[in-house]
Parts: sequence; structure tokens; C-alpha cells
Amino acid sequence: MGTTASQLGKELLSEYQELTFLTKQEILLAHKRFTELLTKDEKDIPNVRIPMERILTLPELKSNPFRKRICLVFSTSEQKDGSLTFEDFLDLLSAFSDSATLEIKSHYAFRIFDFDDDGTLDFNDLQTLVNCLTGETDETRLTPEEMSQLINNILEESDIDKDGTVNLSEFQHVISRSPDFVSSFKIVL
Amino acid sequence: MLQKIGGNFGGGVQSYFLFLRFLVILNLFSFLLIAGFVIIPSIVFRSVEGSAVNNTGTGFIEYTYLFYGYYNNTQIEGMNFSYNIPLAYLSTAGFYLLFCLFCIIARMGTTARVVAATGGSSEGNYSSLVFTGWDYGSNGDQATKLKQQNIYYRLQVDLEEERIKKRSASLTQWQKVFLYSARILLFFLTLAFIGLAITGIFFATNFSQQNSEQQGILGLFYEYLPSIVITVANFIVPMLNDQIAPFERYSPGVTVVFALVRAVLLRLISLAILLFTLWRQITCEKTPADCELCGYNIKVYQCWETRVGQEMYKLTLFDLIINIAVLILVEFPRRIVVDNWPNKLTRWVGRQEFMVPYNVLGLVYGQTVVWTGAFFCPLLPLINTLKFFILFYTKRITLFHNCRPALKTFRSTTSSFFFSGILLLGLFLASLVMIYSVALIHPSMACGPFRLSTTMWVVVPTTISKLSQTTQDFLFFLGSQSFSIPLFVLSCLVLCYIVAFACLQEKCYFVKSPTQTGRPG
Repeated sequence: MGTTASQLGKELLSEYQELTFLTKQEILLAHKRFTELLTKDEKDIPNVRIPMERILTLPELKSNPFRKRICLVFSTSEQKDGSLTFEDFLDLLSAFSDSATLEIKSHYAFRIFDFDDDGTLDFNDLQTLVNCLTGETDETRLTPEEMSQLINNILEESDIDKDGTVNLSEFQHVISRSPDFVSSFKIVL
Repeated sequence: MLQKIGGNFGGGVQSYFLFLRFLVILNLFSFLLIAGFVIIPSIVFRSVEGSAVNNTGTGFIEYTYLFYGYYNNTQIEGMNFSYNIPLAYLSTAGFYLLFCLFCIIARMGTTARVVAATGGSSEGNYSSLVFTGWDYGSNGDQATKLKQQNIYYRLQVDLEEERIKKRSASLTQWQKVFLYSARILLFFLTLAFIGLAITGIFFATNFSQQNSEQQGILGLFYEYLPSIVITVANFIVPMLNDQIAPFERYSPGVTVVFALVRAVLLRLISLAILLFTLWRQITCEKTPADCELCGYNIKVYQCWETRVGQEMYKLTLFDLIINIAVLILVEFPRRIVVDNWPNKLTRWVGRQEFMVPYNVLGLVYGQTVVWTGAFFCPLLPLINTLKFFILFYTKRITLFHNCRPALKTFRSTTSSFFFSGILLLGLFLASLVMIYSVALIHPSMACGPFRLSTTMWVVVPTTISKLSQTTQDFLFFLGSQSFSIPLFVLSCLVLCYIVAFACLQEKCYFVKSPTQTGRPG
């Protein structure tokens, strides 16, 4: 099954409602915004895949420092190029929605921060993460000494099994102590 | 609208505006309380002074509902209805303070829960900030850049504090001795500054009271002299302390807390000194002969309660005028100069930064003045509501037009708690003043609802003695030991139960495991 033309069938809509955390209005709005990104020829292709560059023109993602990682994580393409079908797009919005659970959000946050896709957050992942958070300009980049001091502190606080990396359960443990995470890990169209 | 402030200027500034909004609502409800029980009955029973008894030259305002002196000591007893105005006045004042206490503690409770959930500020700080610090909902390049800058500065500040701590732990013996002696010296220097300011206020108040008969512009200046000196002192002394602070070499977090504590002490002590000098004159410490006739200084103060109320009213008004004047005369021109003449000097000075701690202290000071004066000037909460309302919108205007976002942001949750704490301190000071005036000083004989009693408190025993015997016995029983001790034990048990229940709820919140949903397609 796939999306056709510009109308979303009733059956499809209720199936999406069941499988994601999104409400009916949110799914319809997502469909509208997705089809706006399609060119005229692409509108007739079923299960059409939009390349990453076009997804990143959405205002909600445009200035997010993690935008590329978000597309890569939710993409189901074999080339791992970050392109999204409509169902990938719904997955994305579902994980970032109001009603998604803490477990789902922390799971996806972990995957977004895992820049080398090896299943753990090691020194380089954390370094890239901090640089994304502070911005890439010279004024806001930490010095190498500050960076290593910071990452050593992070590993000391969160690496419970002392293997030098942060795995998913250690990450979720840190997340669970923060009450703001669920409300800040949110993208609404 | 407040979200916009938080997004653009950070959580600290947002917490200031939330605090200000809380105070506006608190003052409004306090005014409704006072109006309902004191002012409206006074109007309804038409029990006010017909004509001015004495002309002390302060104008017609003195003889309106604004001040204590205007209210009568009527005790209406008609048909099936009796209303005792003096008792209402006293009990309304008491309930007003209790009501404010309750609201502040409720507010502290909600902010304390957030602090408890995040486990305090220092534990797991870095990982929390890095893993959960980003707000994915903020759109636009400007908001992103601002958020990145904020995170950068927070990380930098925390890392620097850690380095300073490590460095101070590794000082040599001689260096430690030198540092500690420097700190002690500078501590006494700051105390000296505060002492100078206090003596200045003391002399200004005395001078103002002695020259209260002056007319015209000079007279106006003398009247407002204590307010002027207090405002100037509260402006200069923190600035001087800020200049000294770098030499003390404390970590940045500790420096900020010290600066705040010193500023708070200065504000509250200057208010206390003003009240103390007034009290000395009212109970005539210097010239005991004046007090022998009536128990208070009738020569200088025909109606001392109104006089105290007037001082508080002047302080409130002057505070508002100064705030608006600083806005117009300092902040707007500064922005115009910095924006239109870009050179090295202006870029170094830069746009105004919105100093959250000092602004909040100004609010706490204003509210303490109102609490102290509300007993003597029943319409003061209404005036304060209007004042804070005006202040909210003017501060918002200056924030958006003149200020740049603060680079080193405040920890909003813990600081909200701290500000509510200082507010409690101010409330405590105001209650002390009220209890002292009610219980010990002789009320004026020429004005006010208590003119025929020896002290204001006397109204309560006289009323109780008029009640039926069973009611009296019941009330005495409530106050006796055989009732209060079991009550105390019972309330401790209830408190323990509530605390345990709350802790249980908090722990359960993060343990709940949700059902997972599979991916479609």
C-alpha cells in the first residue's frame, strides 16, 4: 500500500492513526505539507521518495543543527541517503509528537546522536554532538582542552560500566532524570 | 507572550516577568480583601470625618480613604446586624499578611518540586545539558543561534568553575593565607560601604522630619529626602561591591550569590533604619517629656499612623518615578547612541543587558514597603497593583527595544525559589513592624479607628469579652495547652504523611513503562 495522488484514503488514515502517535488532523496536515514538496511529475508515483535536500527546506527542520542526522535515522532507503517516503515522514513526526513516550523519544535521540552508527556514543560522537550544540562558528567553539574536560566529565557522570562509551541504557538513565526532555524533544508542523 | 520573552532572552528574564505577574495578582486580591472588609463598610456606613480637624499642611490627600486617619471607630449595631470597624480593620490586616504568606509558600512549593525532580544543580549537570539541552521546537536561525550561544556560555561557565575549584584546592600555603586575608579585608570594606549608606539614611530621615514644615519646592525635596537617599545608596553600593568582587577571586556562581545577598541586606536594612528612626521619634526617645501626656509624641505627630503611611506611600511613588526616569533618561538614549554611532567605545559599552537579580530585588523591596505600609494606608495595595502593572509593560518595552539577550543565563528554577525566599524575608520584616505597632505603641487620639483604646490590640479582648460565655470558654479552650499540644502532634503526623505520599508519587513518575508501537509499512 502507498499514498496516491493528493487524497488520503479513509482506510489508510485509520491505519496510520493506529500505528503512530499522531492524531487524524496531524496526519492530514503532514500529508498536505509532504505533497507540497513534490514536483508535478512525482505526484503520481506511489511510495514516492523525497531526497534529503528538499526535506531540509521545511522551516521546522531548516535551522535545526541535527537536521541531517534526523533524516538519516528515519530514512528507510537502501542507499542510506536520507530520503524519506511519506511513511518515513510520519514516523519522524510520530517520534517527535506530543504523545510519544519517553522510551521512544530517548531511543531515537540516541540514534540521532550516534553519528558513526556503531550503537554507542564514543568520544568522537560526543565531540560532534557538543559542536552541533554550541554552533560551528569560531566564537562559540570550545577549545580542545575544554572539550576533553567536558567529555571526560560526561563520561564520568553517565558511563556506568566504564567502557569509555555511553550505550542506550546509560543514555536513557540520564534522560529519565530530566523532566524537560519530553517537552523539548518535540517538532510540531 | 511570555514564551516569546523566554525564547529570545532566556529563562531568567522569563522568570522575572512571571514573578512580576504573580505580584500584580497578589496585590489585586489583597486589595479586594481589604476593600471588601474595611473600605466598603466604611463608605457604606458613612462613618468618616466630616471636616479636617488639624491642618498639617500636607494637602487634601491626607484626609481621604488613602490613609489610616480617615477611618472612624464606629461600631454599627443595627437591627440583626453588627459590624465592628476597628476589629475588621485589625483582622483584615492580619488575614492580608497570612494570605500573602500562603500564596508565597504555594509558589515556592511548585518551584521546589522542579528543583527536587532535577536533583539539584550540580549532579549529572553536564550530561543532562548535552543530552537534553536542545529544544527541537524552536524555529528560525535567530532562535537557533541564541540557543547555541546560551549552551556555549553555560558549558563555559560550568567548566571554568570546575577549573577554579581545582586551582584553589592546589594553592600553596602562602597563597592561601594571602587570599583569605584579602577576602576578610574586602568583606569589611563592603560592610563599611553598607554602614556608610545606613548612616546616610539615618541622618536624612532625621533631617527630613525636623524640616517637615518647609513649603514649596524645598519642602517637597525635604519630604522625599529619605526616599532619594535610599534609592541613591541602593544604586551606588552594589556598583562599588561589583568593582571589588573580582579581587575576591570566588568562582562565578558564588560571586553572584554574594552580590545578591549583599544587595538584599542593604535594601531591607535601609528600610528597617527608616522605620527605626520614625519609631524613635514617635515614642520620643530623645525628649521623654513629650510622651508623658498621651504615650506618644503628640507634639510632632497629631496622627502618627498617617505619617508612617505617608512615608511608605512616598517610597512607593518615588520608586516608580525613578524606574520610569531611568528608562527614559538612561536606557533609550544608550540604545540610540550605541546603534547610531558605532565606534570602539560604544561597542565596548554595548546595549543594556537586562539584569535579572537587581530587578527582582527592586520588586521585592517595593512589595515589602507595601506590606509595611498597608496597615497605615489601606489603599496602598491598589496603588501597588497599578504600579507593578505599569512596570510590567514598561519593562517589557525596554526589554524588546533596548536590551540585548543576556549571555550568561540564570538558572531559572533555583532562582525563582531564592526570590520567593527573599520575599518571605520581607514579609517577615513587615509583620514584625505591624505586630510592634499594634501591640505596643499607643494609637493616636485624634484620628483613626482605634482612637479610644490604649493599644490597638485591646479591641480584640474587649470584643471577646462581649461574646456569650460558652463562646468565650470555647475560645479559651482553643488557646490552652490541652488543645494545642495534641493539635501540634496531629499536624506533624499529617505533614509526614503528605511528604511521604509526594515522594512516592515522584518516584513512580519515571518508572511507568509505556506500550511500544511498531513501525508501519
